[in-house]
Amino acid sequence: EAAAETSQPVVSVREEHIGGHEETLKTHKEDNPEKPMEMNGLTPVPDSYDYDLIVIGGGSGGLAAAKEAAKYEKKVMVLDFVTPTPQGNSWGLGGTCVNVGCIPKKLMHQAALLGQALEDSRKFGWQFTEEVKHNWMTMTESVQNYIGSLNWGYRVALRDKKVTYENAYGEFVGPHTIKATNKKGVEKLYTAERFLIATGERPRYLGIPGDKEYCISSDDLFSLPYCPGKTLVVGASYVALECAGFLAGLGLDVTVMVRSILLRGFDQDMANKIGEYMKEHGVNFIREFVPIKIEQVEEGAPGRLKVTAKSTTGNQIIEEEYNTVLLAIGRDPCTRKIGLDKVGVNINEKTGKIPVNDEEQTNVPYIYAVGDILQDKLELTPVAIQAGRLLVRRLYAGATTKCDYVNVPTTVFTPLEYGACGYSEETAVEKFGEENIEVYHNHFWPLEWTVPSRDNNKCYAKIICNIQDNERVIGFHVLGPNAGEVTQGFAAAIKCGMTKEQLDSTVGIHPVCAEV
Amino acid sequence: MGWEEMQVRGYPEFVQTAQRYHGRPIFALFCGDKDAEGRSWCPDCVTAEPVVRKELHNLPDESIFIYCLVGDRAYWKDPNNEFRRNLKLTGVPTLLKYGTPQKLVEEECFKAELVRMLFTED
Repeated sequence: EAAAETSQPVVSVREEHIGGHEETLKTHKEDNPEKPMEMNGLTPVPDSYDYDLIVIGGGSGGLAAAKEAAKYEKKVMVLDFVTPTPQGNSWGLGGTCVNVGCIPKKLMHQAALLGQALEDSRKFGWQFTEEVKHNWMTMTESVQNYIGSLNWGYRVALRDKKVTYENAYGEFVGPHTIKATNKKGVEKLYTAERFLIATGERPRYLGIPGDKEYCISSDDLFSLPYCPGKTLVVGASYVALECAGFLAGLGLDVTVMVRSILLRGFDQDMANKIGEYMKEHGVNFIREFVPIKIEQVEEGAPGRLKVTAKSTTGNQIIEEEYNTVLLAIGRDPCTRKIGLDKVGVNINEKTGKIPVNDEEQTNVPYIYAVGDILQDKLELTPVAIQAGRLLVRRLYAGATTKCDYVNVPTTVFTPLEYGACGYSEETAVEKFGEENIEVYHNHFWPLEWTVPSRDNNKCYAKIICNIQDNERVIGFHVLGPNAGEVTQGFAAAIKCGMTKEQLDSTVGIHPVCAEV
Repeated sequence: MGWEEMQVRGYPEFVQTAQRYHGRPIFALFCGDKDAEGRSWCPDCVTAEPVVRKELHNLPDESIFIYCLVGDRAYWKDPNNEFRRNLKLTGVPTLLKYGTPQKLVEEECFKAELVRMLFTED
C-alpha cells in the first residue's frame, strides 16, 4: 500500500496505513484519529516522539524555556511565526518584547528623554545655536538594526544549543501532535512528549469602520517607515501612555482619547499624577470619548485620517483630522486558532486566556503554558522568563521551586516614569481595611531638575504599610526619573519583608532621588 | 552562476570591493595578516578559516565572498582602527553578511553549523 501512494508524506501509525499527504491531513482534520485506531484496539498516542519538548512561540517565555531544556540535553523544537499585521508588518525571532514591545519602546523613550536633556543642557552651560530637530527615520533605523542583531543572536543561541527552530505556525492536530505551516504553506507534522504554549498576545482592534485599513498599532509603530506626524492614540493602557509620551517628547502633536480611566489596574492616585504631568507637558487628552469611524482623507506616508468619536456620557459627536491613529486598547491572547480544542485544553472563552495551576500546567497534563496568555498572571517579560525556566527545571532537573508571582516590580516608562512593587493603595485598603494600613508619602525635587527650572512638585513617592504586621512595607510607588532603577532594589527589600522601621534606619544616598 | 571569491587587504580595498558588488549578497571573513609562510598572527583565524572554506559551497548563487586581511597585530589592537570604527568589528575572525546585523565572531566561526546557517538562512 505504502509504495502505491503518490504523495508525501506516507504516514502509517502503528502499522495502520493511513495514506499519503491528503489522507493524513484529512484524518487529522476531520476524523478523530483516535477512532480508526481505537477500532483496531490501538491507543492513539505514538510511543516514540520526535521531540521531548515542543515550544509554540519564540518569545520571552518560550525561548527561556527552550534554552533551559537544552541544558539538560533534551531534544527541543521552537516554532515561532508572526502573522503579519493588517498593515503587512512582520518581524523576526524573539517575540513581542524584543521586536514590538519593551526594547524598542525603551529606546524611543530614551530618544525623547535625550531631547529634553538637550533643552536642559543650555542652562548647564552648553551652547549651540542650531535649533534641535528630531529625525524619525534615523532613530527607527538604529532601533531596528539593534533588534535585528537580537533576532540573529537568538537564532545563533538556539542553533548552538542544538534547539531546532522553525519559522512556522504551530497548531495541535491530535494528541501529542502538532502541525507546523511555514510562510510558503508547506506543512509538517511533529510529535512530542510535552508541549509548552507561549504564543503571547496581539493588539486588539476597535471593530469600527476603517480600523484595520487605516489605523496602526504598537506592532507597526516601532518600524514605521515614515514619521507618524499628528497622532491620535486611542486607549489609556500603559502602552497608550508610553507611546503618546515619547511621540510628544519627539516633538509631535499628540492626543490621547480615553474611554474612562487611565491605567486600569494600577494605583489610581499615581495614574492621575502621570496623566496630569503629560497634560502639562504637551499631550492633549480627550476624556470619555470613543472613536466610531475612521475615514481616509488623503493617502500618503503619513496620510490624513478623519476620526469621528462619540461621547460615552451623552450624544455629543466630535470630528478631527490626524496623520496617524494608533490603537492601544488592549491585547488578546493568540490561543483561539492553535487547535487547543483538538487536544482538549481549556481556555477562558471570553478572554482567550489559559488557566493553569501553580506549576503552569493546563488541564491536559502534558501541555504547559507560560507568559502573557496565562489567566490571572502578570504580563511581563521577566515573569515569563522566570516561569519558563523554573518549569523546565522542575520537569527535567528534579527542582521543586515554583514561580513566585507576588511582589513583582514593574515600571511604566511614561515621560515621568512610574515604578511600583506590591499593593496599590486601593487594593491594600480593600484587602486589609483602611484603618490597618498606613501610607507615607513625599514630593521631591530631583537635584538635576533644579538648575533647568523643571517642575518642583511633580516627583512623588509613597509606601503603604501593614500596621498589623510590624508596619511591613506592602506597597512601593515612585514617580520620577529612573523609576525602574530605583524600584528594583526596593523590590528585593520588600521580598525580604522589610518593615517601615528598617526602611527608616537605612541611611540615604545623597544627592539622589531614591533617598526620599 | 554560483559564487565568487575576492581577496583583499586593508579597509579601503574592502570598501571598494563591497561597493563594486552592491546588490549581490556579500559575505566577508576578516582575518589577521599572514606571514611569508602563510600563517596568521591570529590563532583563532587559523582555526576558523578551514571551517568557513568547507561551507562555502552552501553560499547562495550570485554571492560574493570577500576574504579580507585586516592588517598586522598592532594595527588590529588599535581601538580606533577603521574596521572597529566603521564596521563595528569587535574581534577577528569575524564572518558576516554585509549590510545585515548577521555575524559570527571568534569561536562562533569554528562551528560549521553556525557558518552554514549564516550562509543559507534568511
